[in-house]
Amino acid sequence: MNNNYHGMVEAVLFASGSPLSLGKISSVLKELNPSQIKNIIEDLNQKYRRENHSFTIRKIASGYQMFTLPEYAELISKILVDRGFYRLSVQALEASAIIAYHQPVTKAKIEKIRGVNSEGVLTTLLERDLICVKGRGESVGRPFLYGTTKKFLSYFGLSSLEQLPKIEELEAFLKGKEDLKSPKEEIPVVEKKISEIGDNV
Amino acid sequence: MEKGYDFKTNEKLKEYPVRLPCFEGPLDLLFYLIKKNQIEIYDIPISLVAQQYLEYLELMRVLDLEIAGEFLVLAATLLRIKAKMLLPPTEDEEEIEEDPCAELVEALFDYQKYKKTADFLREKETEESLFYPRSFPPYLEGSEEMEDKSKKVSLYDLLEAFKKVLAKATEEPTHIITVLKITIEQRINYILSFLDNKKKVSFTDLFMDNPKRLVMIVTFIAILELIRLNKIKVLQRKKFSEIWVYAKHSSNKKDKP
Repeated sequence: MNNNYHGMVEAVLFASGSPLSLGKISSVLKELNPSQIKNIIEDLNQKYRRENHSFTIRKIASGYQMFTLPEYAELISKILVDRGFYRLSVQALEASAIIAYHQPVTKAKIEKIRGVNSEGVLTTLLERDLICVKGRGESVGRPFLYGTTKKFLSYFGLSSLEQLPKIEELEAFLKGKEDLKSPKEEIPVVEKKISEIGDNV
Repeated sequence: MEKGYDFKTNEKLKEYPVRLPCFEGPLDLLFYLIKKNQIEIYDIPISLVAQQYLEYLELMRVLDLEIAGEFLVLAATLLRIKAKMLLPPTEDEEEIEEDPCAELVEALFDYQKYKKTADFLREKETEESLFYPRSFPPYLEGSEEMEDKSKKVSLYDLLEAFKKVLAKATEEPTHIITVLKITIEQRINYILSFLDNKKKVSFTDLFMDNPKRLVMIVTFIAILELIRLNKIKVLQRKKFSEIWVYAKHSSNKKDKP
């Protein structure tokens, strides 16, 4: 009957539109405990790989879910045209990084680190459910404290915040000087025709 | 700052495009200058950097770009540091005072860390975008998914939808004056009671219990009030489709990462 369990786990994952936790699966498949289910998922993934299937089961923040493999992304994107996937701006990514390390954190602290107003960026992140208000600070005006959400993890394909680069590693890396000397990243450019320029000259 | 060259009088130059990198903020610009000059953040030649920084701001001004206040604050800081370095330190200052750049260097260093992490997140985002989850055909009207994917509804969308509902109002003869005791509070409670039982309710349904113009208008004001109070949210799959009203969870709700 062992094979049947594999089938059952596969079936619930296949049919579910959203991630399933091991606990959730074991609550409907009482014969199996979570760690057995985890093993079965590993078995299934090995099988998919062995047999060259186009999908795999991945663990993301809130549980396990079936995904197609990246090599099929281009093809799929031609079918699912509007997938509602919008990349974050650099500003939003920076603010996300700061919040991830310092949560719960106030807007003031984020702005201090970035050296620039971050109101709009926070609104975007809140709207996209990547961050949420975790409470209010003790300081004057009781400012909101922001933190990251589960959606944050799944959006970036992380299973926990532990997977972010460690602050100490970043510091060590930056102190190690390498990389700092090559301006390789592209910087967006504003372009104006001289005739459009105002009377400030 | 001295007067710039008058580009505008030169016909040939008029259509010449000027390209200027855009920076997110003062630290970003400073960081760029440091990289461009291939210098170490621990050893900033302050007068060179300050000069280039100001040149850049001047260019922004000439190009009519909005210069955020933050850029000016850092410009002032750079000049303050520069001035401090030019002045001979006073006796007692010499011992206490450390490198006037220290604070700036620390801010830059700190900022770089998060920039690195932002790069990391960008990579993860790209990787993740290539995985398509197994899911139901999304965006079925009223499905869970819809709540995630729907766009925000503007006041105009609401007014548009209200106009449609109002068209269904039963007309009363105008000469009879009936005092309708209906208050916004009542309608707010009515809407909230709807959402107590259900997760969402269609915009139109909220008006259907008592389709009199006045009640409808009060209900509409109640909806606007609830949005203002952040008690509900309104979402719509696409323009002119049904608008759905959702109860909004209190924003203090804990959400564990």
